[in-house]
Amino acid sequence: MKTVISAKQRGLGLNLPELFRYRDLLFLLAYRDYRVRYAQTLLGFAWAFVQPLLTLIVFILVFNKAARVETGDIPYPVFVMTGMWAWSYLSFVLTQAGQSLVTSSHLITKVYFPRLLIPLGKSLVAFIDFSVTFLFLVFLMILYRYVPSGNIITLPFWIIALVALSLAAGIWLSALTIRFRDVQLVIPFLVQMGLYFSPVAYPSSRIPEQYHGLFYLNPMASVIDGFRWALLGTPLPDTGYLVYSFGFILILVISSIYFFKRTERIVADII
Amino acid sequence: MSYAIEVNGISKRFRIGKRRSTTFRDSLVEQVRTLFLGQTAPEVDFWALRDISFSVRQGDVVAIIGKNGAGKTALLKILSRITQPTSGSAVIYGRVASLLEVGTGFHPELTGRENIFLNGAILGMRRSEIKKRFDDIVAFSGIEEFIDTPVKRYSSGMYVRLAFAVAAYLEPEILMVDEVLAVGDAEFQKKCLDKMKTASSREGRTVLFVSHNMEAVQNLCQRAILIQEGRLVADGDVATVVSQYLHSFTHNKYEQAWDPAQAPGNEHIRLLYASVQPVHRRNRTLYTHDDLELTFRFELLRAVPTQLDVTFHLMDERGILVLVASTAFSLNAVHTQTTLQARAVIPGNILNQGTYTVNRLLFVERKSYILFEHNDTLSFDILPQPTGRLGWTPGRKEGILHLPNLSWTLEPC
Repeated sequence: MKTVISAKQRGLGLNLPELFRYRDLLFLLAYRDYRVRYAQTLLGFAWAFVQPLLTLIVFILVFNKAARVETGDIPYPVFVMTGMWAWSYLSFVLTQAGQSLVTSSHLITKVYFPRLLIPLGKSLVAFIDFSVTFLFLVFLMILYRYVPSGNIITLPFWIIALVALSLAAGIWLSALTIRFRDVQLVIPFLVQMGLYFSPVAYPSSRIPEQYHGLFYLNPMASVIDGFRWALLGTPLPDTGYLVYSFGFILILVISSIYFFKRTERIVADII
Repeated sequence: MSYAIEVNGISKRFRIGKRRSTTFRDSLVEQVRTLFLGQTAPEVDFWALRDISFSVRQGDVVAIIGKNGAGKTALLKILSRITQPTSGSAVIYGRVASLLEVGTGFHPELTGRENIFLNGAILGMRRSEIKKRFDDIVAFSGIEEFIDTPVKRYSSGMYVRLAFAVAAYLEPEILMVDEVLAVGDAEFQKKCLDKMKTASSREGRTVLFVSHNMEAVQNLCQRAILIQEGRLVADGDVATVVSQYLHSFTHNKYEQAWDPAQAPGNEHIRLLYASVQPVHRRNRTLYTHDDLELTFRFELLRAVPTQLDVTFHLMDERGILVLVASTAFSLNAVHTQTTLQARAVIPGNILNQGTYTVNRLLFVERKSYILFEHNDTLSFDILPQPTGRLGWTPGRKEGILHLPNLSWTLEPC
């Protein structure tokens, strides 16, 4: 094995074989986060169920009962849970990955490993909550005897889009936080606003036609609509908006790796 | 034999003076200022390393020595890919494990078992490798019965032992070790040094070893590299380079006093003052017949009463450990949070002329655990007695000891 250390930059420099060699560390970092999160809590892993349950109740009370959001023949709890399922993954990754480099400074300054593992690990832990929320959704569907639409076979595709979007945004934020600590303060705000501007608690059809151009600027709007289309058979957004969203995600993925790699070179010096 | 490490003209620059902008506002302000005023406040470049070149053959054990802040750790960080050089390059042939501290990535909430896996993976081991060596690691650490306890319940000694045990079973082709042996219990340190020695001599591993412990350096390495103010000033046989290093303390340190805010130390100890002087005179010229008084004043920061000892290693200009002195041999005092002063008198007519360094000053808890180590605390010259009353003028140093008052007899028999 030959390693060259040089002051010069080497392209995009995403060293996939190296990432693969460090896969054990990726899983252990994720395992650590999972273990530490529920260590010494009274409810332990039950918290993973409590959070979505409480959120669901609040959403039903506020949006369905108070604001009278109608979802046609789809039971509201099933409808909102589908949106929450996708949204909670994004919000978890943004919050956790965004801070991940800063909180790992003790590792970064003492030992080498591909830094990308840090945000990657966060997107992996997020799958635990993602699975729990999914179980909830399945439970609700059984409870309301709701049969999912045939589009369900496209679900893996939408999950990939969701993971790509969340991870790319998480990687961007983690690298930005290293350079500008302001970002740490922006992330919670971003996540909170995003929840209102994405069709989580309400259907996209509630947005007047003339504002769709603005509404679908947020790629997450298309992704959530995609999740609903796959599971509940609600309409997809216009093809133009879909193409825009996928293009956006693709560019975000590539640019995030590029920016992260550039930051990685100096991260131990400026952290 | 082939090379394991080739370093070509590596330099590392840090910008000081100007604070790096870490918020948007600073960055914006900086951009705007540059736009209108041209270059802003002059940046001061600090070169941590300048044009370092050397190569290491496979299986060599090389020490990197130098004073604090000379650039040893910066070099190690570049070679282990933690930071990048500003210019120059290096090629490394083989799997590297670097140990800049012990227990990197240990998480207090995780058990000993989980931390072994996590720490091992962070140091570059595969899960399967760790599994294979797991029993050996646990045995080496000697904390079998606590292996499933969260490490936050460990004593600091147990923590360090476990961390070292993981490191000891790393099997890279190239091992880079920074001053990690500065803390921990002395018995265990020896065990680790022995382990490192076998790693190099029997298993043919290449080792780069940064240390202030000249004894360990000379014991472990055949070759040493001396770095001063970021430059490589000597590279060669370990005895020669160590002696050059010890000679480089041209400004002897007879007395050191630290401002509490900047005093060396850690969460346990704060070192405030150290001095050496003849017992009955005020001036600082030391002669072989003088009784030397060494004083160390420090603050103990531990709220819990603890048995504390002060130990120092005295080394001569050739890197020979002349003596290890410790309160542990004679005192048994227990202290709690306070300022303490340790005084030791080395009787006259024992040490020969030469340059001596208090190379290691150790604060030891319960006779075993090192709370804090300070290096090169004092450095002083002992001069030969000025009077020529012996009938010949002492010139060259004759032997390590100077014992003019041996009880002789010389009579017919």
